[in-house]
Amino acid sequence: MNIPRLTDMIRISDYLYEIPTSFRSDMNVPARVYMTEQMYHAIKDDRSLLQLVNMTTLPGIQKYAIAMPDIHQGYGFPIGGVAATDIQAGGVISPGGIGYDINCGVRLLKTDALISDILSDLPAVATALFRAVPSGVGRGGSFTCSLDELDQILLHGAHQLVKQGYGTQEDREFCQANGRMMYANPELVSYRAKMRGIDQLGTLGSGNHFLEIQMVDEIYDDATAHAYGLSKNMATIMIHCGSRGLGHQVCTDYIKIMHDAFPQLVPTLADRELIYAPAHSTPGKNYVAALSAASNFAWANRHLITHAVRKVWHTFFGQSASVATLYDLSHNIGEYEIHEIDGVQKQLFVHRKGATRAFGPGRPEVPTPYQSVGQPVFIPGTMGTASYVLAGTSQSMIQSFGSSCHGAGRVWSRAHAKKRVQGATLRASLERAGIIVRSGSDAGLAEEAPSAYKDIEQVVTVMHETGIAKKVARLRPRVVIKGE
Amino acid sequence: MIDFELIPHTADIKIRVYGISKEQLFLHALQGMFHVLGPTALGCVYRNDRLVCQSYTVQHDIVITALDVDSLLVDFLSEALYLSDVHNYIYLDMKMHIFSDRQLHATVYGLPVISFEIAELKAVTYHDLHIQQITGIWQTDIVFDI
Repeated sequence: MNIPRLTDMIRISDYLYEIPTSFRSDMNVPARVYMTEQMYHAIKDDRSLLQLVNMTTLPGIQKYAIAMPDIHQGYGFPIGGVAATDIQAGGVISPGGIGYDINCGVRLLKTDALISDILSDLPAVATALFRAVPSGVGRGGSFTCSLDELDQILLHGAHQLVKQGYGTQEDREFCQANGRMMYANPELVSYRAKMRGIDQLGTLGSGNHFLEIQMVDEIYDDATAHAYGLSKNMATIMIHCGSRGLGHQVCTDYIKIMHDAFPQLVPTLADRELIYAPAHSTPGKNYVAALSAASNFAWANRHLITHAVRKVWHTFFGQSASVATLYDLSHNIGEYEIHEIDGVQKQLFVHRKGATRAFGPGRPEVPTPYQSVGQPVFIPGTMGTASYVLAGTSQSMIQSFGSSCHGAGRVWSRAHAKKRVQGATLRASLERAGIIVRSGSDAGLAEEAPSAYKDIEQVVTVMHETGIAKKVARLRPRVVIKGE
Repeated sequence: MIDFELIPHTADIKIRVYGISKEQLFLHALQGMFHVLGPTALGCVYRNDRLVCQSYTVQHDIVITALDVDSLLVDFLSEALYLSDVHNYIYLDMKMHIFSDRQLHATVYGLPVISFEIAELKAVTYHDLHIQQITGIWQTDIVFDI
């Protein structure tokens, strides 16, 4: 199949391009990609845009298949893909449109410490956090539970852990969906999935997952920063991880279940990872129940990591030191949401794969203290650059089903990064820049080198200039903790 | 004929696997999947970039029924990945008892792992996977989500 070229696209603005339905006969809607012409050149030779066009073939898809500026090739959907289907009009649900790391996401914690006051403590704090929060391949955490107890966590997410004495009520209230998706049914999560996840609660995992202590070094919007409780020089802590082996197995299981349930669909798919089930079918409903359970597991995971971080923080800075959840935002997830399509309110199933919600002011899903400014949106950069806090807008509701991008987006393969970057050299250069690194291996560090990613500034600029999300604050890393 | 090779991929890991028969392709796919994790195991050494082990201490039976041979390979590797994730083993050899395009029964042989060097492997994907015979050699690409 042909990969769309710039000449195949309609330039809507400096930051938005559209691939019309005339490009390929099986497109149900146009495809839209938020990018600059310069960003196009980073993806033009891979399959990112082909995968975006494939998304438009989903039955019941509304308005456009959308790609965010951190788009890069994945499988099924590209990373950075958003697709909404009308569940009352034959719309479908595709596990490949959410991905294997279900409810991978970012939690941002704010503290009452100024970085300048704790600089000398940071090396010891970094070492303590590296020990307290297991990272790396398959490393199980110290939290243990029975299968029955795991079922309660799958059912109630972070709520269950608060009940068991971990974390606070406020932590879970500032999670997307309040840290619990209501459709969860543990009986629809396989034994295999439960066994892959049962010893992994409270663990980061490897790859691009991380834990960082950061410094708020720039405020762009005083009023919104105030609403979020952010101020200049504040120490913040960012946690990036997902549902570990449990979520991976749920996706694997339901892709097979849907292949087996709808074998006639398989030869018609542009990519087998795009297998889907009608939202009202039993496989479709069962997948949503399992997806919800895995999402609850991921919130419980970040909740336990928060608990471990808080314990370390209190050890160093006293029991009265504040560590509060600013927000916990998912970037691999699917949810039922109400959106306006051509003046009509419709219930849609919104797939976000490497994309986040960016709901504007007034949406009931936004926590009360943020109602007037819109929900927090986190765009983590790389370990050597910066991460950004933005605020969702009413424009995002019009343009992108209330969605934003989720990170910088890779441009180098992991193998290429390891060829080009020496892990030990990178570690030394980060330390010279005042960034303390604790990681399992130099090879793993090299894979995640800043040069392996797009320029975070460009990605954030696209979101800001299109009005999808407005810049609020910039966070510079001071401590980076990674797995293998 | 080589057994498998790494192919560049922006975000995930992709390998191209070869075999003189479909059964051998499945074996090389199994070996390739665990190779990309960079395992270290007692009694094993790397020779010519391949982990060579003196003996295997664990075995598991895998029985799969699938829509077609492509799904059969994904399901087979997914099952081996599940076993590896739960038991912390790798599997580098196998004996095929029953094999057709839609069904297999195999025993996989492996051993406990001390550590993995490179990456956590989340899943085996269907993306780009198409088993075909080219100039007498069976081959396919496999993308692993990491």
